[in-house]
Amino acid sequence: MMEDIVFIGQIAIKSSVAVLLATIGEIITERGGVLNLGVEGMMIVGALAGFAAGFATGNPYLAIAAGAMAGGALSLIHAFFTIKLRSNQVLCGLALTILGLGLANFLGRPLIGEAGVRIRAFAVPYLSEIPYLGEIFFQQSPYAYGAYILGPLAWYVMFKTRAGLVLRAVGEDAAAADAAGVNVAATRTIAIWVGGLFSGLAGSYLSLSYTPGWKETMTGGQGWIAIAMVIFCTWNPLRAFWGALLFGGLTALQFFFQATSIDIIPAYVLKMLPYLLTIGVLVLVTSSGKRRRSASPADLGVPFSRES
Amino acid sequence: MIRLVKKSEVTRYSGLNSVAIAGFIAFGTGCIIFGLLGVNPLTAYTVMFKGVFGSFHSFSEVLVKATPLTFTGLAVAVAAVMMLWNIGAEGQLVWGGIFAAGTALFLLPEAQPYMLIPAVLVTAAFGGMLWALIPGVLKARFQVNEILTTLLLNYVAIIYMEHLFYGPWRDPAGFGFPGTAQLPEAAHLLRFLGTRIHLGFPLAMLCAVGLFFLLNKSSWGYKVRVIGKEQKAASYAGFNVTGKTLAVMAISGALAGMAGMAEVCGIHYRLQTGLAVGYGYDGIIVAWLAGLNPLFVPLTAVLLGALFVGGEQLQSVLGLPSTISLILEAALLFGLFAGKAMQQYRLVFIRSDSIPERSPAGRPE
Amino acid sequence: MTTPVISLSGISKYFGTLAANRDIHLNVHGGRIHALLGENGAGKSTLMSVLAGRYQPDDGSIALHGREMRFTSPAQALESGIGMVYQRFMLIESMTVTENLLLAAQKKIGGSNCRRLISETAEQYGLAIDPDKYVYELSMGERQRVEIVKLLLLDADVLIFDEPTAVLTPVEIDAFFTVLKKLRSADKAIIFITHKLEEVLELADDISIMRKGRVIISTEADRKQISKRQLARLMVGRDVVLRVNKEEIPPGETVLRLRNFSGADVHGTTRFENIDFEVRRGEIFAIIGVAGNGQSGLVSAIAGLTRADSGEVSFAGSTFNAREWAKAPKDDMAYVPEDRYHTGCVGSMSIAENFALTQIGKYRKGATKLALDWQKMSEDGTRAVEEFKIKAQSAQDTAQSLSGGNLQKVILSRELSRNPKLFIAEQPTQGLDISATEEIWQALLKCRERAGVLLVTGDLKEVLSLSDRIGVIFNGRLLDIIDATDSDQIGRVGLLMAGVTS
Repeated sequence: MMEDIVFIGQIAIKSSVAVLLATIGEIITERGGVLNLGVEGMMIVGALAGFAAGFATGNPYLAIAAGAMAGGALSLIHAFFTIKLRSNQVLCGLALTILGLGLANFLGRPLIGEAGVRIRAFAVPYLSEIPYLGEIFFQQSPYAYGAYILGPLAWYVMFKTRAGLVLRAVGEDAAAADAAGVNVAATRTIAIWVGGLFSGLAGSYLSLSYTPGWKETMTGGQGWIAIAMVIFCTWNPLRAFWGALLFGGLTALQFFFQATSIDIIPAYVLKMLPYLLTIGVLVLVTSSGKRRRSASPADLGVPFSRES
Repeated sequence: MIRLVKKSEVTRYSGLNSVAIAGFIAFGTGCIIFGLLGVNPLTAYTVMFKGVFGSFHSFSEVLVKATPLTFTGLAVAVAAVMMLWNIGAEGQLVWGGIFAAGTALFLLPEAQPYMLIPAVLVTAAFGGMLWALIPGVLKARFQVNEILTTLLLNYVAIIYMEHLFYGPWRDPAGFGFPGTAQLPEAAHLLRFLGTRIHLGFPLAMLCAVGLFFLLNKSSWGYKVRVIGKEQKAASYAGFNVTGKTLAVMAISGALAGMAGMAEVCGIHYRLQTGLAVGYGYDGIIVAWLAGLNPLFVPLTAVLLGALFVGGEQLQSVLGLPSTISLILEAALLFGLFAGKAMQQYRLVFIRSDSIPERSPAGRPE
Repeated sequence: MTTPVISLSGISKYFGTLAANRDIHLNVHGGRIHALLGENGAGKSTLMSVLAGRYQPDDGSIALHGREMRFTSPAQALESGIGMVYQRFMLIESMTVTENLLLAAQKKIGGSNCRRLISETAEQYGLAIDPDKYVYELSMGERQRVEIVKLLLLDADVLIFDEPTAVLTPVEIDAFFTVLKKLRSADKAIIFITHKLEEVLELADDISIMRKGRVIISTEADRKQISKRQLARLMVGRDVVLRVNKEEIPPGETVLRLRNFSGADVHGTTRFENIDFEVRRGEIFAIIGVAGNGQSGLVSAIAGLTRADSGEVSFAGSTFNAREWAKAPKDDMAYVPEDRYHTGCVGSMSIAENFALTQIGKYRKGATKLALDWQKMSEDGTRAVEEFKIKAQSAQDTAQSLSGGNLQKVILSRELSRNPKLFIAEQPTQGLDISATEEIWQALLKCRERAGVLLVTGDLKEVLSLSDRIGVIFNGRLLDIIDATDSDQIGRVGLLMAGVTS
């Protein structure tokens, strides 16, 4: 029994890392007042770039960096169109996803089936020896440890530093932030870019660590789930962990039932569950959050210009 | 004095200009990609052009592709006019296909064409409608963001469809091939002139015209447009936003469902992989390139169809990956943004004795 | 006189083809209050936004203490000591006062001494604020104080106020004037944008008047020489007598009666409680109050846009409870909403199309009633354009291409054409120039001949000019109803607006 729980826990964490990283990134972007629906596209490009760099150089650090930078580079397209040209943010994000998937499909074709760098799990000394919890949390990929740190770090920067104050100000009321002397365009560009780095990183986790290898369908909607999780965790990076764990937990259950060939729930229903549950969570959060003062950044999705 | 300023009003043909700019940018992007691949862009574009316009048959393939694209483009457009984002046309298309195949294979397998074809049409539209009503109800009742719900439901629909043709609906005589049995011939849509152009094509054109009149000439369409443009004005005027949300999502889903029916009964003759190839997402591009005008949707659908057929030609003639058309497609959309931004600015001459009579639009002093 | 702190020369600013400012020359001195007077649309706010670095001038130069400066952002202007308090306060509502001040203070002050600096500055000028409160919890007067402290913390010595008294209660206005005087004695240069003549005469040391984008006069204020009438004439360019011909009309039957009507606004935050009043045909019943005292919730509940919690409504002979009322047909009720840009019309639709907004039933045609009669819509729109002298090429012009006054006339004519029994006008002349105001007032007076008019406004002058009876709303309650002919009581209206009942 306990073994099963540890097994499920381990896989749950393992399966939630990408969503967690992407969620943190999107929270940062949205806190700055910009909606970037291109997460799925940035993730898949990050996955491809990470895998390709690893394949070419054999260097895992370069591979990780390439993944993150590719996501960041793609996000700058979003920044240019939404901030400079003030294009519709929803549409632009969709275009970014289409572009990302197209690029991945096109550029990744020769890499299908190749074996690249593999970033393996490694047990953290001492911590991993904690019974059960250690096994679940501290025998993971370095990416997971990175995510453990990045979540709280993002929270700290966002709520305890001047940079965070500026970021939130730009997302809440860009005109007021501008009047207070904040450079709105620069702040938003950075917020989008950092979000892109996180998405790219999340993608590279998939191709380097989670399921090493390259497949153009490997993100499987995780980018979209991350965007939904942003709403679930009310734009708070600390809560992103729970949102991601929800997704990871369902994926783990799927593995568990497959591995043990217990057939209580049909496989296809299990496969649907992460998506259905994400929708359920959205309904719950939206309908319960109506009466409270909305947690969403007030200027989310609103382009800013002094002379419009 | 000459200055670059924001336009206060968009000129009449600005939509067309935007599309021209979009096309130009996509063209340029293509040149760069072909260049990077070491192919003369001129050669590549010639191949694409010949592949599309080279023969009657090749152009007929464009219209074949334009058929589902028109349906999904209309589906996206009708929702977008009310500022609803239906990113779920893909899933609704899948359900249209499931319902169409189910009707033909299991519900009315013995029926005559005059009976079965309308039945397939109605059930497919109904299937897409039901699937679209899930996010519709969630939006109308709980204000749940429809972008995410429509999109996430795509994955669910595809998983279910795969379950069907890998499992209970798999063709028993198909040697393990993932797909249903072939539909009875009575369910096959009529084809024209020895090509693969089928009944779905004129049907799609009819839907475009019908939707145009509904949106632009009827009182219902007037209300939908008001809601889309200015929600506060709509509730001030007492329009029923909830009801319209449901109705628009239902229409949108039904149109996407028809796309699924067109593919299943017009092209594949069975439910199989290759039904969900992204027409639902392409519909977004079709709709916005058409400026959400139902009458322009068939034109942009043909444009996109030509891009796909051209891409396939690149693969068969030059051995280039056909997925290049996916990138060109995204470039078209980004080009449209650039075009729109360029449309908003223009060079003006300011006469120094012009006196302001009114404050600029939307800027009460 | 000493060298001016600010010297503008030849400033021009264009929006599209419209010249908002044309060749403006202006000097502002330290230790003086400079009033910038002009109608809406005269270019005052644009000029000051140029000075404060928000807009870039297209021509001309700004000199600060005799040195030419060029500001590309508000931040740069602030650094040079020029700060502006905008009409819409530039504060982030979901943050505390301290957070807002820290944000504006850039890196100059840290968190620990920020609090000390705030209380020091506040004390010096009599600007009491609670640094830990969230901005959304503050009244408009308090928010204004935060804005002033913000500028003072940054050592601004030129302070620009854009219509600072528009959102304040009479009591708050007095307190604000005291602060201004203190700032003046601290040798700050103060620019004060307004179109209220009384304020100019009370406070200003210098007066500049703008009309159609130009400064037409800039002079020292000599109270013996200048009269209100003269100022108004200069401002508008012709003689204006904002006195309306109000004929006596005997009040008819009661059109609307509210009993114990209670509820909240759309956000559920500002409430109105136990409202009782009636509106009769032939009269203008006014509800006056400072913005945010529950009147907007009350109006939307009366108009049926939101549902009140409790109470009773009698309208045109039938009586409804709060729930029934929200769904009751209101064809005989016309409503001109406060937000004319996004609620009263659809900006990107034509004047003709906007004519159908609240009376679409009138334009249905055909057996199915599905089709619309575009011809008739266009005719009605054209007639309105002619009748109300709306400045537009045709009824096919989009609503957003109209100025505020013309747009309001479109909305007004549409609502009048519905032949209502009750006519609700919410802040009908807010932000409009004097001539548009005049026309709208005349239309309302005319409307009262065949309907009951409910006027909801914060403008005391409007109420005194138009209404027959006046209800004062404060903090969600109707404090008193005063007869406009009762000269003993009428003086209490201003005090009641501030919540002073004794």
